[in-house]
Amino acid sequence: MARLWKNFVNGLWNENPTFRIMIGLCPVLAVTTKAINGIGMGLATTFVLVCSSALVSLLRKVIPDKVRIPAYIIVIATFVTIVDLFMNAYLPDLHQVLGLFIPLIVVNCIVLGRAEAFASKNSLVSSVFDGLGMGLGFTWALTVLGAVREILGSGSLFDKQFLAEGATTIGVMSLPPGAFITLGILMAFMNMIAARQKKRAS
Amino acid sequence: MNLFLLFLSAFLVNNFVLVRFLGICPFMGVSKDVDSAFGMGVATTFVMVVAAAVTWLIETFILQPLGLPFLQTMAFILVIAALVQLVEMFIHKTSPTLYKAMGIFLPLITTNCAILGLAIMAVQNAYTFIESVVFALGAGAGFTLALVLMAGIREELRFADIPEPLLGAPIAFICAGLLSLAFSGFAGLI
Amino acid sequence: MVVVLSVIAMVSAAVLSVVYSKTSVIIEENAARALESSVLEVLPGTSTVNIIRRSPDELGVDDPQEMREKGQETTLIYQGVDEQGKIIGYAFVGEGNGYGGVVRVLVGVDEATDQILNVKVLNHAETPGLGSRIEEEGFRSQFVGKTVQDPIAVNQDIDSISGATISSRAVADAVRQGLRDTVELYRGGE
Repeated sequence: MARLWKNFVNGLWNENPTFRIMIGLCPVLAVTTKAINGIGMGLATTFVLVCSSALVSLLRKVIPDKVRIPAYIIVIATFVTIVDLFMNAYLPDLHQVLGLFIPLIVVNCIVLGRAEAFASKNSLVSSVFDGLGMGLGFTWALTVLGAVREILGSGSLFDKQFLAEGATTIGVMSLPPGAFITLGILMAFMNMIAARQKKRAS
Repeated sequence: MNLFLLFLSAFLVNNFVLVRFLGICPFMGVSKDVDSAFGMGVATTFVMVVAAAVTWLIETFILQPLGLPFLQTMAFILVIAALVQLVEMFIHKTSPTLYKAMGIFLPLITTNCAILGLAIMAVQNAYTFIESVVFALGAGAGFTLALVLMAGIREELRFADIPEPLLGAPIAFICAGLLSLAFSGFAGLI
Repeated sequence: MVVVLSVIAMVSAAVLSVVYSKTSVIIEENAARALESSVLEVLPGTSTVNIIRRSPDELGVDDPQEMREKGQETTLIYQGVDEQGKIIGYAFVGEGNGYGGVVRVLVGVDEATDQILNVKVLNHAETPGLGSRIEEEGFRSQFVGKTVQDPIAVNQDIDSISGATISSRAVADAVRQGLRDTVELYRGGE
């Protein structure tokens, strides 16, 4: 049980896919114009991650090593298409905003990476916990980035305006340059916190 | 749409990396020096062009007539994966040194979201075959440009005195942000 | 080896086609409902929307061949009827080629005068902050009052948004062509 918890927490902080391992970065920059988009994207990816990790783990003894990458791709693409169709039907506004990046979950390095590095070698339950941890780690990273960009760029949070009409916002934050710079600064923050943690440990 | 404008749009104004946020992983991973950045860019451009052509054919002659739009993601990514395998085998046979230099990043071209992204965009915008190929060329050229520029900057950064927390990825991202800001100047080009 | 892969592929295709058949119905319904609420915007005073399907063959329109080539088999015309049952006008969807892809507009036309009442931009992929300004009131209001007799062209009777000529032209093309085709189809039955 403790091991499962460790698997889960790992993805949230130590091996946070965005801030520490730095994989799956394209959606991080593209959809984080608002916090809610970050959450939506993160949860969609988490769903794909958990389901495909689970299935890959279940089939790990059955899939021959030579064709494992195409097999993983088919599994992942299936869940991505399911998420795409469901969001188009039941969450059309979010689907419109996330647009191209929903099918692009299939090439999100986090999903294929965890399938290859973890799910193919571990039990079903461990893989699910790992997928959840990584997915939620990804989600909170996206949400924080989205929140910062939304507050600075549009003066709102979760679509609730808190700045007066016509107040000055840092518009560039909602645009591409702002995404890069915000991510860089956030990463620097994470590095500072990690360094302080290490100092306290030693 | 005018082919030249299409190329220019994909190359500069709507640059795949700095404006559309596609291909960020290799952008960060392979831009440490100009030579490997350029090599990666060329290999990726090649895959992009061929992938655009093949996925267009599949969409037009298989997926649409048979009414299978939901198989698009799967079909496209499998095509790309197969293409990258072929390119890998080809480079391995013809230039073992290049193969070794590119290392893990060669198979990782498969997960370059710029390739799948442009394939999907080309069919979504209902481009013709020629338009898709030109679009891919522009995208690849833009990707290579962004990578090489970034590599040039990072080579210089090696001699700069950077504060500890900013070392590595953070300062790279901030530089990318400034690059992106510069590229947004192309917006009113046409 | 191949067997395992084929089995996985077939199961996946089967699952996807089931999910697709269930969701595509809802997806189409959503699109129709979204379009209907847009119609209420461009035909003010409407309480009911009638959807009229016109196909070129039915009416012996001048250029049925052209419509078939463009893939337009049936054109949907949205007729707005107010509470008293009086027809306010009709609306249609026009498409033009913009910078980042297709620009779709919804145009509301007055029943009595065949003059444009309002233009709404439905979807576009134009550059944010520049081409996206085609959504602004100032740009769209230029089209109000125009009829098939007007050129509806950039640099003739429509001013483009500076720095966004292509986006502006896309809207003008969409409105002009759509107006011509639709008026012919709508009135052609009388």
